[in-house]
Amino acid sequence: MRRSVDDSRAVAQDALPPPPPMEDAGENHVVSVVVTVVERPENLSDLYQEYSTPFRELGWDFEFLFVLEPWAKHLRPPLDELTQRGEPIRVLEVGRVLGEAGQLKLAGSHCRADILLTLPAYHRVEAGCLPQLVQRVEQSAHLAVARRWPRRDAWLNRLQNRVFHFIVGAASREPFHDIACGVRAMRRELLEEIPLYGDFFRFLPLLAIQEGFEVVEVPCPQHSRDQRARIYPPGTYLRRSIDLFGVFFLLRFTYKPLRFFGLVGSGLSLIGGAILLILLVQRLLGQGLANRPILLLGVLLFTLGVQVLALGLIAELIVYLHAPMRPSYRVRERA
Amino acid sequence: MAIACFPEHTFTPCPNGTAIATLLLVMPPEPQVSVVVPLFDEEENVGPLVRAVRVALKDRARWELVLVDDGSRDGTFQEARREARSDTRVRVLRLARNYGQTTAMQAGFDDARGEVVVSMDGDLQNDPRDIPRLLAQIQEGYDLVVGYRESRSESLLKRKIPSWAANRLIRAITRVPIRDNGCTLKAFRRDILQGVRLYSDMHRFIPALVAGTTSAHIMEIPVRHHPRRFGRSKYGLSRVWKVLADLLTITMIRWFRERPLAMFAWGAGASTAAGVVFLAATLIAYTSFGPLKASAMVFPAATFLWFGLAGYLIMLGLIGEVALREAPSAPSAAVLTGGAE
Repeated sequence: MRRSVDDSRAVAQDALPPPPPMEDAGENHVVSVVVTVVERPENLSDLYQEYSTPFRELGWDFEFLFVLEPWAKHLRPPLDELTQRGEPIRVLEVGRVLGEAGQLKLAGSHCRADILLTLPAYHRVEAGCLPQLVQRVEQSAHLAVARRWPRRDAWLNRLQNRVFHFIVGAASREPFHDIACGVRAMRRELLEEIPLYGDFFRFLPLLAIQEGFEVVEVPCPQHSRDQRARIYPPGTYLRRSIDLFGVFFLLRFTYKPLRFFGLVGSGLSLIGGAILLILLVQRLLGQGLANRPILLLGVLLFTLGVQVLALGLIAELIVYLHAPMRPSYRVRERA
Repeated sequence: MAIACFPEHTFTPCPNGTAIATLLLVMPPEPQVSVVVPLFDEEENVGPLVRAVRVALKDRARWELVLVDDGSRDGTFQEARREARSDTRVRVLRLARNYGQTTAMQAGFDDARGEVVVSMDGDLQNDPRDIPRLLAQIQEGYDLVVGYRESRSESLLKRKIPSWAANRLIRAITRVPIRDNGCTLKAFRRDILQGVRLYSDMHRFIPALVAGTTSAHIMEIPVRHHPRRFGRSKYGLSRVWKVLADLLTITMIRWFRERPLAMFAWGAGASTAAGVVFLAATLIAYTSFGPLKASAMVFPAATFLWFGLAGYLIMLGLIGEVALREAPSAPSAAVLTGGAE
């Protein structure tokens, strides 16, 4: 779906495109700022005024893209007013709920600049640090994610953040501090290359590293309005955990699912098989089986193990069958 | 260079027509032999390696060395680039991150231009002086020449014994009589490689993949083996499990790629047989003890589990058929199964 099968792909994936042309570094900065309106939107025109200030002061060429889903239509009129006053604002109104991943993809195909800066529809970081994010991408990185630092919010938020990133770091071995901050600068091709769907946009930095992109974390002072302690409903934590598990499975085992399923499956069948073997020996020595419920456990574990193993084989077959169409590596440079 | 004259999208002719002719003459012909070496954190080994290859191939008119830097964190790329700048026959491919030896090798194969491709370790444990001997065998008409390490200079417990066991196992399962699957020093005729797409850690099984599925002629010759001089090994005992899992995959793919349902049907058959045994036990218990007593419930319950597994496997097999049917048709699949049936 995301890549064609033909041979030109092999060429296209090869060298990364060179950094955008910079005729004179001080003057020609171009950036598209994408505001994804997904949850708890604040006053969008205030947001625009605040976050466009640094770009205006630096004299950069910029535009703001707001993506509005049907439920957020009422937020449009003030933006239109700004547009009429000549502000570089465009509004993408979509007919259905896309979620952040879908909105990012859409924005990627509509923005004018090669570098995108994404913002959530509320205050996360101080506006002053945004140009710095863009500059990191202009220099060499493909993705620069903001890390809210120094933080000003409630200790409860920080604790949640710590725990989440401890798990992320332990499982991915990538020491990020704030991967889901939502403020990030990236090259447009990143959005085209990375399979982004569902809630996985939260893990964009990890997915980008997996695809061989260069990712940096840039500390940005946390905004004074991003201070409220947030306790989410239990379902949210559950969904995050499932996402986390899904991402780690995909990162580590996408190309070798049998490594995972095989380990679980053969472990289960070995335990089950051992139980059955012991029972068989005892049966041959004369002990009856009919009143041994542990027989059920043995059969259960064994069959369960075989099922898991078989699932792994199917997954492996699918990976194998699709291997030829998937570019498996990315070349950074040649010499 | 010639390419610069014809930017891909603008078809501006070269300003000077004669320049093309000159360039064509100057441009080196396709090299005959490509040596592909994946490198990961081998900065001290790059220089000696390039020199050794240069010495080993000094009698050949046309060769190239493709160094694949697999996301090294040390100065491997800088070293390799320096070599490439001083010798046009050396090229470097720097991958964006560390992908693992198999993928690095695939990247090198994709980039290689020679009619014969030689793969080699980057740690100088293989000896480039063996390359001409491999090439001589290719000249003889073999499609794939595999080296085996005759006297290995490595620790017994951590290397030799696991390696011996793994090779026995691989040989028994793939039925390809290769003595040393772990030896990277191999020479391929290029068209053999064209159909094989390596992923995961499959580079160990190239002979098995090629042999089991095409009518390739394979030859094995002894090669020298040196202890590592610089850097450290990137292998541990953890690969035992990886080899086992990959072996299972390879076996499945070789035997059942064309009919996944058949593989699962075998499993289902075995499971049904086990179910029948327990069904018999149920009936015997029923006839000898009358209506089932609670203590005898284990037999019918186990019967259900076995039959359940059989049904489940059949359904998975059907999923496999769907996956096969919906897969993009790929040349590699055709080659891989060419001689398997």
